Amino acid sequence: MTPPALQLSAITKRFGAVAANDGVDFELRRGEIHALLGENGAGKSTLMNIVYGMLTPDAGEIRVGGEPVTIGSPRQAMKLGIGMVFQHFMLVDVMTVAENVVLGAEPTKGALLDSRAAVARVRELAGRHGLSVDPDAVVEDITVGQQQRVEILRALDRGADILVLDEPTAVLTAQETAELMTVLRGLRDKGTSIVFISHKLSEVRAIADRVTVLRRGRTVGTVEVAGPNPPDEAELARLMVGRDVLLRVEKAACRPAAPLLDVRDLEADDDRGLRAVDGVSFDVRGGEIVAIAGVDGNGQRELVEAVCDLRAPVAGKVTVGGKDVTGRGARHARDCGLGHIAEDRQRSGLVLDFTLSENLALRDVDRRTRFGLLSPRRMLARATDLLAEFDVRGGGPQAAARSLSGGNQQKVVIAREIAAGPRVLVAAQPTRGLDVGAIEFVHRRLVAERDAGRAILLLSLELDEVRNLADRILVIFEGRIVGELPPTATEEQLGLLMLGGGGATSARASAA
Amino acid sequence: MTAPTPSDHRGPAATRLLRHLSVGGAVAPLITTIVAFFVGGLVVLATGKDPLTTYKAIFDGTGLNWLLPWSGDRALAATNLQQTLINTGPLILCGLAVAYAFRAGLFNIGAQGQYTMGTIAAVYAGSSWAGLPGWLHVVLAMAVAALAGAAWAGIAGALRASTGANEVITTIMLNYTALWIGVYLFGLGGPLQANDQPDVPVSNDIVGGAKLPVFWGDKDLQGLHVGIFVAVLAAGIFWVVLNRSRLGYEARAVGFSPPAARSAGIGVGRTYVVTMAICGLFAGLAGSLDILGWQFHLATNDISASQVGFLGIAVALLGRNTAIGTCFAALLFGALSQGTSVRNLDPAVFQPELAQNLTTVIQGLVVLLVSADVLLASVWRRRRARAGGGGAAAAPPTPTTLGSVSP
Amino acid sequence: MSARAASAACAAPAATAGWAGILAGVLALFVALPPLTVRSDALVVVLGALALAAGAAALRGGERKLGGAAILAGLLGAGLGYGAAHTATGGLEAAVSWGALGGATLRFACPLIFAALGGLVSERSGVVNIALEGMMLMGAFFAAYGADKTGSWVLGILIGMLAGAALAAVHAVFAISVRSDQIVSGTALNFVALGLTGYMYVDVYGADGTPNDLPQVPEVHLPTSSLGFAGNSIDDQNLLVWVSLVMVVAVWVFVFRTRAGLRMRSVGENPRAAETVGISVQRTRYLAVIASGALAALGGAFLSIGSVHSFTQNMTAGKGFIALAALIFGRWRPFGLLAATLLFGFSSALAQRLPQLTPGAENVATLLQALPYVLTLVAVAGVIGRSIPPKADGVPYKREG
Repeated sequence: MTPPALQLSAITKRFGAVAANDGVDFELRRGEIHALLGENGAGKSTLMNIVYGMLTPDAGEIRVGGEPVTIGSPRQAMKLGIGMVFQHFMLVDVMTVAENVVLGAEPTKGALLDSRAAVARVRELAGRHGLSVDPDAVVEDITVGQQQRVEILRALDRGADILVLDEPTAVLTAQETAELMTVLRGLRDKGTSIVFISHKLSEVRAIADRVTVLRRGRTVGTVEVAGPNPPDEAELARLMVGRDVLLRVEKAACRPAAPLLDVRDLEADDDRGLRAVDGVSFDVRGGEIVAIAGVDGNGQRELVEAVCDLRAPVAGKVTVGGKDVTGRGARHARDCGLGHIAEDRQRSGLVLDFTLSENLALRDVDRRTRFGLLSPRRMLARATDLLAEFDVRGGGPQAAARSLSGGNQQKVVIAREIAAGPRVLVAAQPTRGLDVGAIEFVHRRLVAERDAGRAILLLSLELDEVRNLADRILVIFEGRIVGELPPTATEEQLGLLMLGGGGATSARASAA
Repeated sequence: MTAPTPSDHRGPAATRLLRHLSVGGAVAPLITTIVAFFVGGLVVLATGKDPLTTYKAIFDGTGLNWLLPWSGDRALAATNLQQTLINTGPLILCGLAVAYAFRAGLFNIGAQGQYTMGTIAAVYAGSSWAGLPGWLHVVLAMAVAALAGAAWAGIAGALRASTGANEVITTIMLNYTALWIGVYLFGLGGPLQANDQPDVPVSNDIVGGAKLPVFWGDKDLQGLHVGIFVAVLAAGIFWVVLNRSRLGYEARAVGFSPPAARSAGIGVGRTYVVTMAICGLFAGLAGSLDILGWQFHLATNDISASQVGFLGIAVALLGRNTAIGTCFAALLFGALSQGTSVRNLDPAVFQPELAQNLTTVIQGLVVLLVSADVLLASVWRRRRARAGGGGAAAAPPTPTTLGSVSP
Repeated sequence: MSARAASAACAAPAATAGWAGILAGVLALFVALPPLTVRSDALVVVLGALALAAGAAALRGGERKLGGAAILAGLLGAGLGYGAAHTATGGLEAAVSWGALGGATLRFACPLIFAALGGLVSERSGVVNIALEGMMLMGAFFAAYGADKTGSWVLGILIGMLAGAALAAVHAVFAISVRSDQIVSGTALNFVALGLTGYMYVDVYGADGTPNDLPQVPEVHLPTSSLGFAGNSIDDQNLLVWVSLVMVVAVWVFVFRTRAGLRMRSVGENPRAAETVGISVQRTRYLAVIASGALAALGGAFLSIGSVHSFTQNMTAGKGFIALAALIFGRWRPFGLLAATLLFGFSSALAQRLPQLTPGAENVATLLQALPYVLTLVAVAGVIGRSIPPKADGVPYKREG
């Protein structure tokens, strides 16, 4: 019996106190597509970065083709026949496809580059593996799907027979995803062993031969997908999420009042100028939590930014408490009673180098002044009160926000937004990366604010969170709201809508 | 949406620098200065001269020995100290002009050009409007100079805000544009060239009423004018604006994290414009002090020889972008250029032409080492963070983000 | 949607406006020159303004390149035309003796070409180099010093280049290994070079200045003076002028046609990507920065032992920053920066020659000296298509532990 292409035993990698990988075992057979499945933060990418020599493990053993190896750099990984396709492509945007593929192993003629040979080499390679891409095109001009092919071609050009793809479909359209699947199957049939990192159940079931599930840095188990008795999505979901993390939030029945947030026919583009929010309409009433559920990258970020006026909408209207806030600037929206718990608290939520007291004043600094000047004493006093009320630990009002743990940082953001007394609170992934205790705090607080009569718009990728907190669930798919479900809906019902299944897709198809 | 721009990656670079510069207190700048003087001493030694007597002679020339009551010639020391302080005022202001930008995450290389525009405006205002009462004339001329500097700097701020043009490049270009505008205005046949000296490329003299009052030393022998108080007052205002006003608070928020500031409703582009304009106010005011305080006219040679604004970069960096640090750093550099001036340094001890160049080397070394102690500060920080325990560390570096080099 | 359709609809008028603007800009200068020699400010200004207006209209209509070109033509035409219109007619014909002007243009451009090429190599690898000025100054002094001490201009040039490379090596250490801010480090080294060369100059040569018999880079005499304007421009040029032109081609070949050049560019655009394919970011950047210093120093050497045959303190007088401007204006491309340096050199040549021949209005020509800076401002602001630097330019790179 031939040894597995890649075998990882008891891999451990810690960042500070957090174990991203905690004794992970993983085995990749020759010529299989092996999915690595897990939630965000489960340790998938860390594991594969170890394999590619970008990170060094604290403990554990790596065997390639049965031989124990240490992989200290990407270069060594390449020599061992390991290629990696990163989620954020490692490409030089201003160079051509051919130049990118041969970079590091360029053909030369005398002292000069032999670009004709490079183009020929790339064309031959692309033809052989069915990866159609123009070798002379400049990378920044081609689509994301084609850029990904360039990455794959480069790995193959270096002779990779183990190919790791880190969430390859996260950036692809459905069409591109289908094409990628075909390419990967072709590669597998020619003997390449492939690791496919994903958190999308349907994809994994569609492409993988086997699945290894990671949860919180540990291996939960490995399942045959291609075998005679394949697991269904619910079963995979159970493995991935685990029953033990289900959190129940005690909450009274919802008593919705008048609509406070009203979004009409909103359209917005993403940073590349492509339509990301495509005619979204909904309202949120005082005293209710409306959750927007969806797979990552279906326009949630752009929707939040457009609602909070951090992104100019292309069309449509947003009103907060009856006042039009469309396109009038974030400060105006805030003045009209909009609070925003930003998705990325370290980047947009907090000024990490400010003290907590300064951070807590970010949204209403004009109300913290005396004779037109800031009053540090008042800022401190207020910060002290808020830190106590929201149970922020790890530093007083003078501590830098940077020095706090993620959970406590998030509490500071929430304290600031709620203390401003908003009528509408937009919470974008408010529990991302938090530990269980902090998650519970955030959930309770959101419910309490709902009960206090605020309108809460929750965006989350976690289905449990959505079903636990929401009074109504809107599902977003490719920039449109494709359905509304009650919180009693099953995971299957939600999942179907989120993946563009059910009536929604056909409705969209006929509309288009 | 104008905010995301291709050249934005320099912003975070300045931000990174700013973050590092805000730690470490006064010890690192002191060590930096000592090392720079030490290396300068090596240069002196290498050319066969005695560094100690050289430095002693330079020190005596600064007039700082006036502070040591037992020292020799009190009158000479007083005169020297007056000159040192005359140098110090504009240096403080130019330092503030650079420092304020730093605090908002901008790198203002353009204090020199803003200073030049200030001198041009001041000499124009000072030599016109002869009928005005003295105090009003002085105030008006200073205001006009400050506004000229602000407008000049505002160009860079507006370009940054509207097109994302890197302020390092634009302010460098504006420096030289200002220089040539000055040379044009006061050169032979230029529109503002002196009426009574057709063969000299110089401006008219400012009228007597527009001169800053001298409060220490002889008015006719270039005694110390009140400009130093203006500069120190400006440093106080700098502190208040930065630490106590909404304007400064927003500037600091933008400096540390443009996305967070934006998300909190702060207009990032507007902050860039206002910040640069404030920088220009300081630098333009510096120009007015030199014109109204002791130069009284502006020759094209003065414009091209001036280094005050460039030294402002060194002053701000050494002073760690704080008000008090800037004042001390300005005093150091002001004293150095006084101590090495031709009329002060005894050629028998050390040639003043050499000493002036030595000063330039030391200034360069200070800036170079400040950029290095940034590294030491960050190492020190990291070590402290590690000692502080795992909980203190921010999120672990997730491997997927390692890929993006420019944030 | 509708906006796009509208812009498509007026694309043709916009293009027409653009071309009309360029024409008006050219006319603004042309009418003021012999043989027409119109002496009217109004005509020049009106034509220039027309060019600007047409350019703006073209820009609004979506014709970015044409509109930008029209605005550029308007600025240049009005500026130069205004200067020419203020020049005595007789003097003008002498000043615009094209052969001499062409020769002077090349002489002004030569040091800028070297320094800008140096900047190109450094910045293409991802290290911002605003110490070009200081590196030129090092080259200028040490070339003169070396030539004086060794009695050979060849050795002088080599010593000058070594000195520039040494200063660049310091920049490399701070910018790459210490990961200092590259702007701060560059600013510092400009001071250091200014002080160091001044110090050594005073110490070695004192009040007398560099000796009169300083070995010089020879001129190349070509029998082309009978071939009209072009021949007149090149018949009597310094050897280094020719070297600088060859160097433009050489750098272009290196950067865009060799393996090392490709790798260097990848390091300047996306160092992490370069690292993942096994290219050493540190080594590449060190070599590039040091080469940059040697090239800039060559420009300095031209100033001292090629052009004026002596050294004076701070003799570069901002030329390093003009070179930086040319690099940006030429969009980090060898032939782009060649065009920029020739334009800047032309404006300097004109500014130098006009006043000599036109007593009374010497001063207007001074404004031409500001042209490189103003044009570069316009270029970075994106009016004439945006100048975009290499993506990782100025960003220190840190390897993972």
